[in-house]
Amino acid sequence: MTMTLSRRSFTLGSATIAGLAAMGPLRHAHAQRTDQLNILCWEGYNTDDVLSPFRDRHPGATLRAESGTSDPDMINKLRAGEVNVWDLINVNQPWARGRLYPEGLIKPLDKDRFLPFFERMSPTFAEPYPLAFADDGNLIGMPQRYGPFSFVVNTDKISRATAEEQGWKLFLDPAMKDRFGILTYDNWNIIHMCLTGDQNPFAPIDEAGMETFRKTAETIFGGARLRSDDLVAMNTALINGEIDAYFTGGTYTASPARLDGLTNIRGITPASGPINGKGGVVWIELTSLVNNPDPSALAADFLEFVQEPEVCKAVGFAEGTYNPVAQMGDPAVFEKWDEDELDAIQWDTLEDEMNRSVEYDVVASYDDLSTIYNAAKRG
Amino acid sequence: MERLDRRLGALTATPMLVLLGLCFLAPLAVVAGFSVMPSKVFDLWHQPDFSAYAELLRQGYWKSLAWSLGMALASTLILLVLCWPLAYAMAKVYRRFTLILTIGVVMSLFVSENIRLFGWVLTLMKGGLIEGYLRHWTGTGFDGLLYNMPVIVFGLVYVYLPFMLFPLAQGISMVPDDARQAAADLGASRARILWEIDLPLAAPGIVVGCLLTFVLATGAVAESKLLGGQAVIVIADEVETAFTYGQDWPLGSALAMVLIAIVGAIAIVGVNRVDLDAIMGRRR
Repeated sequence: MTMTLSRRSFTLGSATIAGLAAMGPLRHAHAQRTDQLNILCWEGYNTDDVLSPFRDRHPGATLRAESGTSDPDMINKLRAGEVNVWDLINVNQPWARGRLYPEGLIKPLDKDRFLPFFERMSPTFAEPYPLAFADDGNLIGMPQRYGPFSFVVNTDKISRATAEEQGWKLFLDPAMKDRFGILTYDNWNIIHMCLTGDQNPFAPIDEAGMETFRKTAETIFGGARLRSDDLVAMNTALINGEIDAYFTGGTYTASPARLDGLTNIRGITPASGPINGKGGVVWIELTSLVNNPDPSALAADFLEFVQEPEVCKAVGFAEGTYNPVAQMGDPAVFEKWDEDELDAIQWDTLEDEMNRSVEYDVVASYDDLSTIYNAAKRG
Repeated sequence: MERLDRRLGALTATPMLVLLGLCFLAPLAVVAGFSVMPSKVFDLWHQPDFSAYAELLRQGYWKSLAWSLGMALASTLILLVLCWPLAYAMAKVYRRFTLILTIGVVMSLFVSENIRLFGWVLTLMKGGLIEGYLRHWTGTGFDGLLYNMPVIVFGLVYVYLPFMLFPLAQGISMVPDDARQAAADLGASRARILWEIDLPLAAPGIVVGCLLTFVLATGAVAESKLLGGQAVIVIADEVETAFTYGQDWPLGSALAMVLIAIVGAIAIVGVNRVDLDAIMGRRR
């Protein structure tokens, strides 16, 4: 009896597993890559407001978009073999230029098709934007969302003028001890700690510079009341008065609170700094074609689709965070934003802040700085 | 016949063993492989140099490891003391109420850990449920209860309570009432009954509960991030940082391997000291 049951169970089990194993390749073999599009992106491109109109235009297509939690996390996915899965990736430009393109994980765009879009963008991007190109001259991605990214204050506690004038030194002031938080976007913190120590993070840093960085990092971590990688937690602490400022932040992080009417929460760009007099940093996302060996024909179509005014607004004003988009240089795009929405993204000072900022770039001594940074963070 | 049964048993188990090997051991093998690779490589086709382990010692990662193990130990001990009376009541005193309690505790698991912890953030923060009401009623407040080490341990205790409570209740239910009554008839005090009857006979439940809690708490990261404001950096946070912002997969893998080795050794020692069959319902 035992023998009969075992044999039956075994045969049934084996057949089930064989069947399941066979289904995977079969399903894959029947898939039509012209009917599929997989997008790996920051939040915004994965919303219904963006995806639904594209689905309507391609009713037979399966469209999937997944939001990443950080640039390196998304890049790790491609490295781990998901280059076969995704068709588009949306990351901040240094990661596209410094990691994805050199490692062959993304491929160039067709210049004839995409360069004309730059002409209608804001002045910063219209030339066209140089950092959308790799060193070999290839266009490797389309810019869309951007924003100054330095630090955030509660202007009821620290005035905008004071914060801009003091700049990064605000966080070295003994009077600020336990009055600020650190938003632990580690790669950004490294850039900003260099700037706090009057160093240029995008140029190689020598041994003496490393010592300066160590002291800066230890002082800032020593003075912070809290650290979190959650911008909501940081805004909440700012609103309820637990902190008066947070290190690393900008329009991207302050805008949700501002749109809720808390316009005393404000991203600040220092008035001066160590890089040709500039002390702020601006991030710019690039959306690129993944070097998928079985590419989807819809990927480039989607890149073209997100240049349309309604979609630009949907990307810029997605759930969670609100950001300006490069396409706002086109009046047809700009008119989609109302007064409150423009105030949420600090449109009144955006151009000034951009002028006082340098572009987020590859950090030259990142590995060594990262080691020192993590040791300081550990305490 | 018995040998044939055994052979068929092994044969029947083969598909599951293969599946386990693929889904459980293979990722571990990849992590182990990466941990011996040179720094900052993203594939396994390099000469192993174990430099990640040297880096791990040089860079003071032991601090994060010590914090994780220390807080896991503290939360396990607190949970053991907290859950014992409740588990005892569930196993021996409550009747229908045990079911209600079980459903209540299990229901909390249906809500994501992060959301539950954020609920505590709203409760404990400055201007939150506690401080806000206190300020409203008395006119004086304080700086909030978040962003320190004790609140991380509180978070661990809160999140992992069910993992201690249920094994403990199961363990206590295995203690025969006759043995306790006999000890009491022979003049044993309550403390002595606890020490010589309850604890030894409930040991499988205690060990399983402690192991589950300790292992999960050692790898926990959300409590430190959400409640603790990263007042201390836990080892799981270091692993995540190494893999992401550090872009150093070998270092992240080496950190993970050290954690796996320590937790694995503790688990093996713990499991070997008790008869797990007893708690799984089989007769000794």
